Amino acid sequence: MKSSDTIPPARTPTEWQLEQLRHGHLDLIDRHGQRHSNVDVVRAFPISVPAGPIAIVAADGTELAWIDSLALLDAPLQSLLLKELAVREFLPVIKRIETVSDSEPTEWLVSTDRGLRRFTVAHTDDILRLPDSSAVITDSFGVRYLIPSVDVLDARSRRLFETSL
Amino acid sequence: MPSLPAASHPIDGSSASRGQLLAERTLPPEHLLCLEVGEKLVATCRFDLDADLNFTDGWIVLTDRRLVADTPASFDGDSRSLQTAPSPKQTHSWLLAASTRVDVHMRAAVGRIELASGDGIVASWLFTPARAKEVLALEDAFDERIRGERIHNALATRVAKATNARDQSQAIESAALTDGSKNSNDDETLDAISSPESTSGASWRSLVRILTFAKPHAGMAILGGLLSLVSTAVTLVPPYLTMPLVDKVLIPRQSGEAVPFSMIWWYLAGLTGAALAAWLLSWAQAWTLAWVSERVAADLRVRTYSHMQSLSIDFFSGKRTGDLMSRVGSDTDRINTFLSVNLIDFSSNVLLVLLTAGVLIWINPLLALVTLAPFPLVVWLVYSVRSRLRRGFIRANVAWSDMTSTLADTIPGIRVVKAFAQESREIDRFRTANDRVLEANDRVNIVWSFFGPLISLFSEAGLLVVWGAGAWLVFSGTVTVGALTAFLAYIARFYGRIESMIRMVPATQRAAASAHRIFELLDCKPTVAESPRPINPGRVQGRIELSGVHFRYGSREVLHGIDLVIEPGEMIGLVGTSGSGKTTLANLICRFYDPSSGTITVDGKDVRDLSISGYRKNLGCVLQEPFLFFGTVTENIAYGQPQASREQIVAAARAAGAHEFILAMPAAYDSRVGERGGSLSGGERQRLSIARALLVDPSILVLDEATSSVDAETEVVIQAAVDRLVTGRTTIAIAHRLSTLRRANRLVVLDAGTIIETGTHDQLLAAEGAYFRLYHAQTRAALEAATGA
Ligand SMILES: Nc1ncnc2c1ncn2[C@@H]1O[C@H](COP(=O)(O)OP(=O)(O)O)[C@@H](O)[C@H]1O
Ligand SMILES: [Mg+2]
Repeated sequence: MKSSDTIPPARTPTEWQLEQLRHGHLDLIDRHGQRHSNVDVVRAFPISVPAGPIAIVAADGTELAWIDSLALLDAPLQSLLLKELAVREFLPVIKRIETVSDSEPTEWLVSTDRGLRRFTVAHTDDILRLPDSSAVITDSFGVRYLIPSVDVLDARSRRLFETSL
Repeated sequence: MPSLPAASHPIDGSSASRGQLLAERTLPPEHLLCLEVGEKLVATCRFDLDADLNFTDGWIVLTDRRLVADTPASFDGDSRSLQTAPSPKQTHSWLLAASTRVDVHMRAAVGRIELASGDGIVASWLFTPARAKEVLALEDAFDERIRGERIHNALATRVAKATNARDQSQAIESAALTDGSKNSNDDETLDAISSPESTSGASWRSLVRILTFAKPHAGMAILGGLLSLVSTAVTLVPPYLTMPLVDKVLIPRQSGEAVPFSMIWWYLAGLTGAALAAWLLSWAQAWTLAWVSERVAADLRVRTYSHMQSLSIDFFSGKRTGDLMSRVGSDTDRINTFLSVNLIDFSSNVLLVLLTAGVLIWINPLLALVTLAPFPLVVWLVYSVRSRLRRGFIRANVAWSDMTSTLADTIPGIRVVKAFAQESREIDRFRTANDRVLEANDRVNIVWSFFGPLISLFSEAGLLVVWGAGAWLVFSGTVTVGALTAFLAYIARFYGRIESMIRMVPATQRAAASAHRIFELLDCKPTVAESPRPINPGRVQGRIELSGVHFRYGSREVLHGIDLVIEPGEMIGLVGTSGSGKTTLANLICRFYDPSSGTITVDGKDVRDLSISGYRKNLGCVLQEPFLFFGTVTENIAYGQPQASREQIVAAARAAGAHEFILAMPAAYDSRVGERGGSLSGGERQRLSIARALLVDPSILVLDEATSSVDAETEVVIQAAVDRLVTGRTTIAIAHRLSTLRRANRLVVLDAGTIIETGTHDQLLAAEGAYFRLYHAQTRAALEAATGA
């Protein structure tokens, strides 16, 4: 298997390199030249400061690198990390709520930006309303769905959402 | 990678494994058509994401020869499509070889299944956690097929064992917690049963005391009282109007007089007006008094809770959490109901009864006398039934609180219950408690069901008396028919009110009992009291001196005269067998308790003269039972220093060796830990609480078995961090593993509440005393464990 592109980090004084391989694998070569394969990219504060620090973690959980902010990095490395984070932070956006069952646990059928999806919400605690009128719904498997703004949903969806709280 | 020829036959219908597996999961038919004669289905799973992370619905089918699946997220293009009909989905197939592997990687919200052969990954599929279970089952099935069952089973048991050991230690920890807090409440319950009279006496006083909480809302309360007076009076108007309606209009009309019909309009208008006024007034009155009582209850709740926060640790160690919660929650709510509903009803009933009696006497004293004759009998009956009801009611209350306490005990202790497979016993325990509630309520109901109809009988009898006496008086001409009609209307109301007043007896008792329980709590004084003129210590140097410190829990003395001087920046290791008083000594230094005699000074000042919160700001405590709050990791680490920056929080977590496991949590530092940190292991909880203590940058650090739940390897990591942090701080460290205390400047050996040795590790070993024996017992145990393994 050959590496498709190697990106040397430039602007930050990083002593490591990231290498993107096929099948979504990301390898890190540390300053001793040692290769850590299939590393994971983690936002430290994904909810409170999404733009904040990022850690690169080896498959066994060891921290390999710490980046205070994506903004400090070169554009190619930035986009590579963002792409990796997008997979990790899979968060479908709910466009419309089709149906919600009456009794707990509630069955939801929603249209998202990634297609139609049916899921179960165990408890109203799993519907988190944020002050900026957005909401995050966590289903019984831990998959999260985002409603960027409850106010801009169509009337029917909004009614279904409100009654489910 | 070899692939299968596209030609394929329908699967052999007689294949046993096929029928069996089909029963479990229905497969999309296009995959079934691909199977060859004699090919056996091993496992199937679905995946739900495509390469662009859009939702999809695809299948992966594992047979004993190959893996057949819908379009992967990525693949090396040498597998041949089996799909003949045009379809958006492409079906691919790979023959299995000895070197073929299936790996599953789980990351936050998206998992990846990888199919790999000797020279690397050939295909991968993506899925959400919704499919995780079946995907992992397929991986297992694959491993089993490749590696053979034996290896797999051995691995599974090893993992299971490790998990069990962890749960067990947590279970025991929480068992100790539940047991310790249990006994005290039983005593309390007994007290309540044995002295109902004295409780009730105090209860009435408590009820009056509640009214003092209405003071800030006096204006509204008085308005409510006035409204209820007026609205009660207004309800007396309609029967009064019926009197002239009968006497001046209906009867004259019947006996042939020419009465204008317009008179009737006037009376009807009057009746309507009175009804409307009564409705408006009682609405205003109900709202006003509900407003006041809602605020009284809210004030009570905050007052009770903030008072509870000010109480010392020893108050809480003797109480059941369920009991305290019900005092703040349901007791205040009962008082609220009492004030907003019952008190209004009661006062308006009393008013109405008195006013009615007055009106009756005013209309006709003689008839009034006859009407009210059974009233004393009713009063006596109420009185006699009241004490019966109260006893029954207290019993019902105790039974109820017992039942809720059963819940409050077992729900946090659910791990212990399950670990020891005692579910059915707990159900029985709950059922027993519930039966006691039932029984106590039955008793109250027996009294009630007898008493309620009796009151109705009395009101019927009263009506009869009025009819009889009234008819006689009408015949003798002393009373008009109108007056009699009015009387009958009044008397129905009169007994109705009496009846509802009696119904209020238990509600009043209930509220009084609640008020009593709240004031019991409010009257508790903290044992560790703020001094009248507290000195704010600012940042202390950390010189701690204990002289002649004795300490008792109740009547049992556990520390017998401790003398110890700890210099600023010194690290003291407290050593001793379990129960020798190490935690107690640490608690005294934290000022969770005050010594029974003797003094503790910090920088030469008696800790009792220092402001409690000012002093505690200098302390970093990692307690033996690490407690975390329901909230995010960040919130928990920053608990003592809410304004800490993220960099500081991360630094503290790194120092405590918590950083990497936090990064592995679903939302890293924003992940929520459950109630009491339930979703974390004991060691993880300890590391978070170390981070929390380190963040406040304390001048005195108290570590009570801070690393006891951490494995030896992790402990070395934390220890290195703690060692760095210990420098420049006065540290009191308690550790079970003596090796943890290697860095201590001095070791203090406690035995049964007295200091028996002090010195450095080397000095104490040379002295060949208690420490020597402890140390060797541990090293020998460690050696044995090492050679045994
Ligand atoms: N809250 C309490 N009430 C009564 N006795 C207690 C309490 N806490 C501890 N004790 C008793 O005091 C003794 C010393 O306990 P402790 O200081 O916790 O020992 P350790 O050295 O193991 O930390 C023990 O015998 C224990 O049973
Ligand atoms: Mg202890």
